[in-house]
Amino acid sequence: MRNRLNVDILSLGAGAAIAVVGALVLVDSAGGLDLSLGWMAVALTAAVGAILVLSGIPRVPERRDD
Amino acid sequence: MNDTPTTEPPREEPTGEDTTEQEAITGQMPQPRRLTRSSSDRMLAGVAGGLGRYFGVDPVVFRIGFVLSLFFGGLGALAYLLLAVFVPTDGDPDRSQRFGARLQGLGIWRALGLVAIAIVAFFGLSALAALAAFAVGLGWGVPVAIMIIAIGALLAIAAFRGGARWLILPAVALAIGGGVAAASDLDLRGGIGEREYHPVGVGSIPADGYRLGVGRLVVDLRDLNWQKHRALPLKVSLGVGQADVFVPRRVCVTGTTHVGAGESEVVGERNDGVDVNHAPGGSSRATPRLNLDASVDAGQLRVINSNTAEVDHPGFGPGPFHENTAPQRAAEAGACGTG
Repeated sequence: MRNRLNVDILSLGAGAAIAVVGALVLVDSAGGLDLSLGWMAVALTAAVGAILVLSGIPRVPERRDD
Repeated sequence: MNDTPTTEPPREEPTGEDTTEQEAITGQMPQPRRLTRSSSDRMLAGVAGGLGRYFGVDPVVFRIGFVLSLFFGGLGALAYLLLAVFVPTDGDPDRSQRFGARLQGLGIWRALGLVAIAIVAFFGLSALAALAAFAVGLGWGVPVAIMIIAIGALLAIAAFRGGARWLILPAVALAIGGGVAAASDLDLRGGIGEREYHPVGVGSIPADGYRLGVGRLVVDLRDLNWQKHRALPLKVSLGVGQADVFVPRRVCVTGTTHVGAGESEVVGERNDGVDVNHAPGGSSRATPRLNLDASVDAGQLRVINSNTAEVDHPGFGPGPFHENTAPQRAAEAGACGTG
């Protein structure tokens, strides 16, 4: 018996989106980039929007191959 | 066969007297009028239509009342929501009615508990975002960013082990707070409170200018001896709040000003929004001149060239010259020779 790989798409996508925002904060705080509030607002809105879209995808139930 | 005739009792026909009696009973106990939402006369949920029908008033009156209430605390909007959820429609149950039925099915205490949890969660997430912004403002931007990335990575890894959806909202709150604070260059290292400076000599002005983290910062330069050929560089920096710089009318103001989010009113030029920049005076070399480098991360910046403006004008909102900024602009143009 082997369980099929069951990935929670919402957690994966949200993690990626949040990590990208964190990277932007890191680059801005370290002085590598002077991001304006307007562009950060765009990035945050895109991240939240992506999470909302992913939350609309139904979770695939775990399937066992007996 | 013995047929026994069956006889049915004679059916009693209603008499006129009985009918009158029933009507009398009905008349004594009239059916109560029921408040329902209108399914035909509706703009949103039919609340105003139902109220209008119930009270015999044009529903437009209630609609105007609900809209007006938005400008007076919004209590009417809350009332509308409650009525939409708990008052049934006169037609097929709609979504809000089904939601209300579900709430009623939960029982009052469980429903109140859910509302309380939602309120606590909202304020908890807001506090988390504020904490992240505060940390970034204190100069801990890099550690906060690393923490946000780590939480994102944790979420991604957890996705392969069933997921950790409960972590998404706190992570989003942290990302929003940290992101907004980093992008607006929030600097809270100057302290908190109200600072008012009236330098009388150039020597008493700090070399690195005036700085405040959160609060109101007033720099009144009208007591300075503005000699004819003086060009004074000045840096003013505020994290969150209101910064006011006062100069005499005859001083030309040049340099750059920046407001991350809020309102800027610089020698009569007023703008608001996000990333509001000004470059007053252009490239004027006129003297006496204030070469200003001012920034407010979030809030209001006012540079007022007036000999009579009151310093004691705290709080947000219209400045002393909000209605008519023409005299300030004219004074600036005259002082800088750009008029």
